[in-house]
Amino acid sequence: MKRKGFGFYLRIYCKILAQDLKSKMSYRADFIISTIGMIFTNISGFVSFWILFRNFPSINGWSYYEMLFLYGFSLISLTPVQCLFDNNWSLRQYVYSGDFIKYCFRPINLFFYYQSEVFDIKGLGQLAFGIGTLIFAWVKIGLAFTPLMLLKMIVFLLTASLIMIALQNAAAASCFWIQNSFYVLDLAYRFRDYAKYPITIFTPVFRFIFTFVMPIAFIAYYPSLVVLRPDAVPMLSWLSPLIGIAFFYVSYKIWMYGAMKYSGTGS
Amino acid sequence: MSAIIEIKNVTKEFKVLKRREGLKGSLKDLFSRNYKIVRAVDNISMQIAQGEIVGYLGPNGAGKSTTIKMMTGVLEPTSGEILVGGNVPYKNRTRNAQEIGVVFGQRSQLWWALPLIESFRLLKDIYQIPDADYEEMLKLYQSLVDIEPLLHKPVRQMSLGQRTLSDILAAFLHNPKIVFLDEPTIGLDVSMKAKIRTLIHALNKEKKTTVILTTHDMGDVDALCQRIVIIDKGKMLYDNDIAHLKRFFGSYRTLKIRVDGDLKQEAENIQKELPDNSVSADDEWISVLVDEEKASVMDVLGCLQKKYKIRDMQLEEISSEEVIKKIYEEGVQ
Amino acid sequence: MKLKKYLTLTRAGIIEALQFRLSFVVMVIGNLLYLIVVYFLWKAIYASAGTDIVNGMTFTDTLIYLVLATALFNFMEMYTVWEIGRNIQSGKIVLDLLKPMEYRKYLFWSYSGSFVTQFFLTFLPTFIAVAAVTHGAIPLGINLLYFVISVVFAVSINYSIDFIVGTICLYTESIWGINIMKQVIVLLLSGATIPLAFFPETMKTVLHWLPFQSIYHAPLSILLNANPQPEKMLVTLGTQAMWCIGMMILSKLFWKASLRQITVNGG
Repeated sequence: MKRKGFGFYLRIYCKILAQDLKSKMSYRADFIISTIGMIFTNISGFVSFWILFRNFPSINGWSYYEMLFLYGFSLISLTPVQCLFDNNWSLRQYVYSGDFIKYCFRPINLFFYYQSEVFDIKGLGQLAFGIGTLIFAWVKIGLAFTPLMLLKMIVFLLTASLIMIALQNAAAASCFWIQNSFYVLDLAYRFRDYAKYPITIFTPVFRFIFTFVMPIAFIAYYPSLVVLRPDAVPMLSWLSPLIGIAFFYVSYKIWMYGAMKYSGTGS
Repeated sequence: MSAIIEIKNVTKEFKVLKRREGLKGSLKDLFSRNYKIVRAVDNISMQIAQGEIVGYLGPNGAGKSTTIKMMTGVLEPTSGEILVGGNVPYKNRTRNAQEIGVVFGQRSQLWWALPLIESFRLLKDIYQIPDADYEEMLKLYQSLVDIEPLLHKPVRQMSLGQRTLSDILAAFLHNPKIVFLDEPTIGLDVSMKAKIRTLIHALNKEKKTTVILTTHDMGDVDALCQRIVIIDKGKMLYDNDIAHLKRFFGSYRTLKIRVDGDLKQEAENIQKELPDNSVSADDEWISVLVDEEKASVMDVLGCLQKKYKIRDMQLEEISSEEVIKKIYEEGVQ
Repeated sequence: MKLKKYLTLTRAGIIEALQFRLSFVVMVIGNLLYLIVVYFLWKAIYASAGTDIVNGMTFTDTLIYLVLATALFNFMEMYTVWEIGRNIQSGKIVLDLLKPMEYRKYLFWSYSGSFVTQFFLTFLPTFIAVAAVTHGAIPLGINLLYFVISVVFAVSINYSIDFIVGTICLYTESIWGINIMKQVIVLLLSGATIPLAFFPETMKTVLHWLPFQSIYHAPLSILLNANPQPEKMLVTLGTQAMWCIGMMILSKLFWKASLRQITVNGG
């Protein structure tokens, strides 16, 4: 048996993805309606944002466009979790019905095999919204645009994505231990709504909690500071890529541990 | 022949929540919970040689699936040792997976939305099957079953029979040393069952694949297995070939008679008169199981003739179905 | 004893809900988290506004409004669209239609058990906590009675809307898309995410003529009104009653017409 490296998994993923997209095209109505639903969600998010902040020139020292920047940043950083890890939402049903067992018999990484099954194209619409918002805010704030800035932006967007992916993995994996894990996943999902506010609005105690206990601030706030406020970047922002990788690794271990512990219900 | 599967003193225990009943019980469960330990598999040992087809039998909840899950590496035994092709399954799950194929009940492992051929291509990549072997396997499949119409059909549009057939083909695709089939013929019609049995038999002959088969259908056992293993309540009851088992019940004969009136009703009456014999009825016959060491068939027949007008009769050796039923009910003395 | 068969469903629902004890803990944490974010966000907004009263609402008013809106949401969300959609896809709907009970009622009463548990385990504690924390900012008088009546109407309107949207699933396979659209529209336009008082005037006028404001805005504004004038209450409750009946009839007719779809197409 040959060693299964990154190249092997990338090739398999691309093949599954290509097949998946092909078969999705046969559900055109579903695709269109889901896309419209996604657009609705984003528009409603913008409308809420606009209604809320149109009356106030700034909040807690954050200008309207800086808030918008954070918002766009969080939308982009949520795209990978939406596109690549959407099968996490079905996990509890597979575990509950016992169908999860079917993933356990393949000679490849279980986590990879499970997640590879679903690619959610709808997330790409959100990505478009996010990029549009970010560019708009970027121009309005008058931030400089250099290749280095772009590089920083990409690195820290990936960081933020890793954190959200990690949170969702861990939340989804809870179904291996508790029966009705929907609420856990839903809770993690709601984090995305809180991610778009600057952490400075909280008192120190809650700043600590949202940084170290429930690391919501890493989904947008800390990583985006590197670009948004380059003069005063806290240490935590620079550390966030490492933290992101660590979180992802831990969540992956939890997920795998749960899956191994899992014994299947019924026959 | 050396053993490809070795199981030594394997036990598996589960912790199960005991729920209380009713509204009050549910409220109590909210605050304190009781657990009990259930021993699903209890000190089982066996050896299986390369190329064997073994029927793994037992009533529902006997521990069959648990054993299979342990052999496939999904479950870790509480105690005891399992070696599958030289691997400890739960420690090397992925390496073990390369060497085995699994068809688990009615749960298709194929990609739901994809045509079968695309699933095969993905499996070829996942199992890293060389091109030549893959082509050879497809040719073999073509010679055994008519797969052309299946290849381009998405799995979700297949009938249960076609899906099971596809799952079995997918399980053999990477030419594994061992294939586990968990109730492969459940819910299928007679002709599909026959088709699937022929297929399994041919693949076993052709590729020397070891097959472990669990089923409730004695037709599967008669058509495929030389050897059967029976477990119940986690304990091993029997492990030997099926002919031996029938010899064990060699003094048993089945007396089949036909009388006037409703057969089911009459069978109940006869059962009352012959409390030591097991009596059952189908659409055509009333069957009476007779142990000739206790009373001869002639005695029973004589006794029945006094009360009933017997229109027709047959005498048969005990069937596998009845043997298994007797073992489930009474165990092996 | 016609009621008895419905109450049996309620009881079964309560027992089922109680099986999942961890989900309660998670739900409480989730709500707490939401409350914290809302509290600090609006605190920052009011601090930036420089006045105590924005759009006729004090900080405390807004807080109570939003907190109870969330509690009401948790209480009213029955995942009806998902349930109907899934039953249609799995074919289980055919079995449900065989039950000696109208499907619309069967579904409602199957869920009524969670109403009871949700009311006692989330809504009531939240209500008491808010009342205590805000030191009597919630007027406790005749308005409570109006509030309860108003909530009953709200539940009914919400269910009818859900049922109408669920019925759409008979025509398309896209449950996710349809559900998300409904949820986004209802939450935004009913004033559940932002109090209607903050909306621009033109939007307010439009929303006044839509059924959504009857779900969250109506009961919550009744609750916050210390001196309810009977005429005004009558108008609010009357509007709700009208929508309640209207939507109920609409949902029944739509279901009846759509059911032909099943019987003709064989599900």
